Amino acid sequence: MDAFYAIAIFLSVLLLLLGSGVWVGLALMGVAWLGMELFTARPAGDAMITTIWSSASSWSLTALPLFIWMGEILYRTRLSEDMFRGLSPWMAGLPGGLIHTNIVGCTVFAAVSGSSAATLTTVGKMSIPELRRRAYPEPMIIGTLAGAATLGLMIPPSLALIVYGVTINESITRLFMAGILPGLVLALMFMGYVAVAARLSPSFAPQVEPLVSLTERLRNSRFLIPLILLILLVIGSMFFGFATATEAAAFGVLGAFALSAGQGSLCRASFVESLLGATRTSAMIALILAGAAFLSLSMGFIGLPRALADVIGSLELTRLELLIALLVFYVILGCFLDGISSIVLTMAVVEPMIRDAGIDIVWFGIFIVVVVEMAQITPPIGFNLFILQGMTRHEITYIAKAAFPMFMIMAAMVFVLIAVPGLATWLPASMAQGPG
Amino acid sequence: MTVLRRTLDTLYLGSGIIAACFMVAILAIIVGQMAARWFGITFPGAADYAGYCTAAASFFSFAYALKHDAHIRVSILLNAVGRHRRWLEVWCFAIGAATATLLARYAIKATVVSHRFGEISQGQDATPIWIPQLAMSIGTVILAIAFWDRLIRLILGHDVEFGSSLEEQGRGK
Repeated sequence: MDAFYAIAIFLSVLLLLLGSGVWVGLALMGVAWLGMELFTARPAGDAMITTIWSSASSWSLTALPLFIWMGEILYRTRLSEDMFRGLSPWMAGLPGGLIHTNIVGCTVFAAVSGSSAATLTTVGKMSIPELRRRAYPEPMIIGTLAGAATLGLMIPPSLALIVYGVTINESITRLFMAGILPGLVLALMFMGYVAVAARLSPSFAPQVEPLVSLTERLRNSRFLIPLILLILLVIGSMFFGFATATEAAAFGVLGAFALSAGQGSLCRASFVESLLGATRTSAMIALILAGAAFLSLSMGFIGLPRALADVIGSLELTRLELLIALLVFYVILGCFLDGISSIVLTMAVVEPMIRDAGIDIVWFGIFIVVVVEMAQITPPIGFNLFILQGMTRHEITYIAKAAFPMFMIMAAMVFVLIAVPGLATWLPASMAQGPG
Repeated sequence: MTVLRRTLDTLYLGSGIIAACFMVAILAIIVGQMAARWFGITFPGAADYAGYCTAAASFFSFAYALKHDAHIRVSILLNAVGRHRRWLEVWCFAIGAATATLLARYAIKATVVSHRFGEISQGQDATPIWIPQLAMSIGTVILAIAFWDRLIRLILGHDVEFGSSLEEQGRGK
């Protein structure tokens, strides 16, 4: 069997189905089905259902719906007001002023939510009108928000990292730990940019905040304490080995309920809405994962990943060249697909390449998340851009231009990761062994 | 016609609610397992039960999520074709209906086979595997019904407005 012939058929059918608007999960199943029927003698239907059943009922996947639910509960609380009120007095003195509330707010919310869209809406809901009222430059408000919201996918809990871990059978806890330091470094890089840009830009002339006393600051931030405790509970329980990722997610859901009840935003309606919202989002991701599981089985039978890995191997790229090639590839792919779809779609073929090149698979998880998130703030398809368009009514091109500096910072972050791999690998190596 | 419409919509919503109940069950099982561990009691097969509930939550929610436009798709072309969108949607829903029907067919077959041969889970739970697989069969059948339902309505020209539910799809990002 000619591998190139098979690759050509796979790719063209996949592009046809995806491009014409067939749902990603079903498109993957369709291509996988066709591939098995054309190139193998195995019964495609039975293989399909066995694979889909075992992937859908796997233990590691149980963390996903729970983390989604936790985010949905917090999304329906008063957190966005509390966040702005609690953070702004601390940021007022920094160069760049309250713009930093965007970045710090996103970082904090990212630590309880696995989605960058939820992070973006929660933080932006309050900070956009407040920053506008204080005459901060519009591109800066929007750009930093678009960029910093991508931290939602990097700082644990992260839906993209769960999906990555499930796809390649890697410990989700280790991936989560790997995301913490790079996420914080990226947030600092964003803040550094804001500080410098605020000093250099002549149009940066916001209303000056009255400086408030330390006690006043602390009093304003007291609403953030439960949130910080929740973050420590979820991430700490995993780091110190008290809980698996799924158990930490269960803590998270219970903690989110407690926080929501404490604020008085927990009622029957918000409970039902959060539950049904989480059900829909989990369904969406589960369908993609089911399709991807069958696609990787089908490609595996045909021998595609091996063949491609050999081709790549024969090119004798250095590790850096391979990573840069993948960077470009994912940014282009991300122009058409969302982050989670790009990850599951490609991992079956990319994983053997990465392993052959001797690249750490946990480290690569962080790399791929930064890269697919870069694509979320580039046109034509960038979910963060779309959401910001809905919130601000600006043109997509305007928002993309405002977010461009953040894109460059994330590109720089990729090279920081390559230069200092320890950022991603140190924490997972030093955490306590979990209960399984 | 309206009776059929209402029945089908209730079916999708109902399966969504069942899926939501399984979400609560996942939480209950995980919390129960942790509590058992602290009290030194074993809860054999907890991980397997949680896995079955995750699978059931997924399969039951597929049709409900479709109804709410929550499944991810690439909509560049769909938005670009303007008034011809209906026919492109017919193509998408036809592919979807065919795939979902295949899924349902083999899911039922797998469940029947598991039942006939009395297959038992490999894990500590020792559950007859056809019981959790029942969720897969029912869920995929409802998904197939949802696809055929929308496909037929599209062809007949009923209810052809399309929402682009960005906020829904964005949740997973």
